[in-house]
Amino acid sequence: MTRCQNFSFRVLLGAALGLSAAISALAQGGGQLRFCLHTEPKTFDPLQVEDDASVSIRYLTGGVLIRVNRQTQALEPELAESWKVSKDARQITFKLRSGVRFSDGSPFTAEDVAFTMQRLMDPALHSPTGDAFRTGSGKVQTRITSPTQMTIVFPAPVAGLDRMFDQVAIVSSHAFRQESAVNGPFLGPFVVAEYKPGSSVLLRRNAYYWKTDAQGRKLPYLDSILLDIQPNRDIEMLHFRRGEDELINALDSDYFDKLASMSPELVHDAGASLDSEQMWFNQVAKAPIPDYKKAWFRSTAFRRAISEAINREDLCRVVFHGHAQPALGPFSPANKFWFDSKLKPQTYMPDAALKSLQAEGFHLDNGTLKDSHGNDVAFSLITNAGNKYREGMAVLIQQDLQKIGVHVNVVTLDFPSLIERMTQTFDYEAILLGLTNVDLDPNAEMNVWLSSAENHQWNPQQKTPETAWEAEIDRLMRAQASASDPRKRKEYFDRVQEIVVEQQPFIFLINKDALSASSSLVKGENPVILHPQTFWNAERLTIAKAN
Amino acid sequence: MATLVWRIARHGVIMLTIVLLGGFLSATFMRLAPGFDVDEREMDPHLNAASIQAVREEHTQNRNIVRYYAQSLAKALHGDLGTSISLGQPVAALLKERLPLTLRLVALGLGMGWAAALALAMSAACVRLVSYDVASTLLSGLFLCIPAAVLALLSVLWNLPGALAIALIVFPRVYRYARNLLSKAYSLPHVTTARCKGLGELRILFWHVIPVAGPQLLALAGVSVSMAVSAAIPIEALCGLPGVGQLAWQAALSRDLPLLTSIGVLITLVTLLANSSTDVIGQAMGSQKA
Repeated sequence: MTRCQNFSFRVLLGAALGLSAAISALAQGGGQLRFCLHTEPKTFDPLQVEDDASVSIRYLTGGVLIRVNRQTQALEPELAESWKVSKDARQITFKLRSGVRFSDGSPFTAEDVAFTMQRLMDPALHSPTGDAFRTGSGKVQTRITSPTQMTIVFPAPVAGLDRMFDQVAIVSSHAFRQESAVNGPFLGPFVVAEYKPGSSVLLRRNAYYWKTDAQGRKLPYLDSILLDIQPNRDIEMLHFRRGEDELINALDSDYFDKLASMSPELVHDAGASLDSEQMWFNQVAKAPIPDYKKAWFRSTAFRRAISEAINREDLCRVVFHGHAQPALGPFSPANKFWFDSKLKPQTYMPDAALKSLQAEGFHLDNGTLKDSHGNDVAFSLITNAGNKYREGMAVLIQQDLQKIGVHVNVVTLDFPSLIERMTQTFDYEAILLGLTNVDLDPNAEMNVWLSSAENHQWNPQQKTPETAWEAEIDRLMRAQASASDPRKRKEYFDRVQEIVVEQQPFIFLINKDALSASSSLVKGENPVILHPQTFWNAERLTIAKAN
Repeated sequence: MATLVWRIARHGVIMLTIVLLGGFLSATFMRLAPGFDVDEREMDPHLNAASIQAVREEHTQNRNIVRYYAQSLAKALHGDLGTSISLGQPVAALLKERLPLTLRLVALGLGMGWAAALALAMSAACVRLVSYDVASTLLSGLFLCIPAAVLALLSVLWNLPGALAIALIVFPRVYRYARNLLSKAYSLPHVTTARCKGLGELRILFWHVIPVAGPQLLALAGVSVSMAVSAAIPIEALCGLPGVGQLAWQAALSRDLPLLTSIGVLITLVTLLANSSTDVIGQAMGSQKA
């Protein structure tokens, strides 16, 4: 080797080592990631979680047996190396990962899983996660065959059983105390280090976290995550623009466009989300509204005509600036497995809507639609005050329906007043609201679709189904819930989706896009449509040092 | 001395009555608000009928407002202010965590607001230039026209402390009264005589003007505390400051009866304490003078 070659080799070697050290430093990361929670977390007990903020904290601190990959929507092993669901969907056997430790250094065993399940299924806990598993009366039994092997037996079949464990964060059988749940111990990538009520939650990396990257380095890369409790979206946006926060989840379309105009590389539109916006008419028999209006609202032809007369494309374009898609049915196309691809988009057809109403005995009189008894067709549409998108949609619906002679009064109420009318007094005519979907499985919506359920919003708590199509939906929902074959379940639920589109008890309007923003300092982010959009892979995120 | 003690005792009894009444009225208004009886959790499709029933039962316990208030008072005597429905935490702990921030915010806001108002009012009264008077009146009028929410948003936008927004709310209101009081005091014959005799401005201010305007300024100080406390609610809510004001806002939106009743009592108490203190100080000063 000549001196020149030797020198070149040394320079190259030095450069390579420097580059490797830089990459390594970046990958090792460290640093603090900051973003906002929009509400105060109501609980740190992972088994009692119900609000978005607590769900986010559970996601970052909790260890689950099985995880739904937020990108592929497929199941992946986490604390369970493998699992097997019995043919009757009543029991699931887990082989647990060995060598895993809680954040206090204590070992994770089958005892912890058994303790978690017993506590989760305690009826007195009223856990939303636990209620989702409760398909029949009787106790859940746990059988531990070894420290890393166990079986959970349910009293009745639970459809989509394995998928539901994505929401079950395992708690320690020896150290968990409900009153001090904030102290853990935790199995997830981060632990709660400090909670300042009303202000922030500080998460630090879990030194005992079991995962490593492909190079064998311990995860997570980040040292800490600071979650600012910030209900005000304007301030959240301001913090992001000042570089005080690095991520924004569920970004508003207005803010998305503002950010996109300044730095398009910071924003991300992942396409239609699982969330839907819909309106429905009050079909409750005892509702304090005139009988002739009840007759309209209970008429399938009336509901379908109203649906046909709403221009969903306009809602997406005008209200959401193109960051929404017209809804096709109960499930968004973003739900890869459960969406019924046979559903067709609802075309905007005001003339056809008017014709079908005329066929039902309605007629136009000086631009006002009247029913067969001469009553003006008019109704009030309630939505929650302060939600500019819903207020915007309500105004566009008002304009669309005016074209077929239907007069709509838009009324905005604060949320508690609206819920009171919807669930207790039934003193409303039509409501425009949204449904936030976190679960992919239709079982999570049993309490919406069963006619006897509390959340069967257009006509809840029916003793027996009041219509043949609701009876059919009941039958299909129960059939899918007890079937173990996913294809059979899909077949049943496809039929439910088709009936809903035919009958329009909910007039599905749009599916909002999953919009997010992330600072250029965040490396490894890959926003998805499922919660938690931007930090689903938090353990692999890194923060580059700002210049 | 005995008279002073009697006055303080009388104020104490009146305060206690008003505080109890204030708490009861807060609870009653909350009970009558639409949507009092419902809980957002009822909308969770995961919850089964038994869990939704349990959620509803939490609210039914508070339906009879007289019984609720009597029970709450009995518990409060033992230091238990109940548990917040929306946040699931003890009300006493929530108030303890958040009160210092609000007190600091209000104290700073009042301090800055009063300093600015008095400085401007005194200089306007002393200088007695029409242009200066018009300019200062216009400045205070400008801030008087700007709603508290806008000041809060501006302080967020320009990254200014929330206390400044409170100061700018207090300043114009204090300024207008203070200027009128000081102008009147400065135009009194004995002040004119003192000036003619060549007394210094500071001596005139402290010996001849403050003793005249002092009692009314003290009364104004008591009222300004109520102003600052009321302003703290929207300012904390909009600026994202985790104080009692933000808590009050959240409690009202979520119909959180235990939390809002306690905050109502607390705000009544702070307002009354401020007003009573200024009353007692004013009367004490008056009796000393006599």
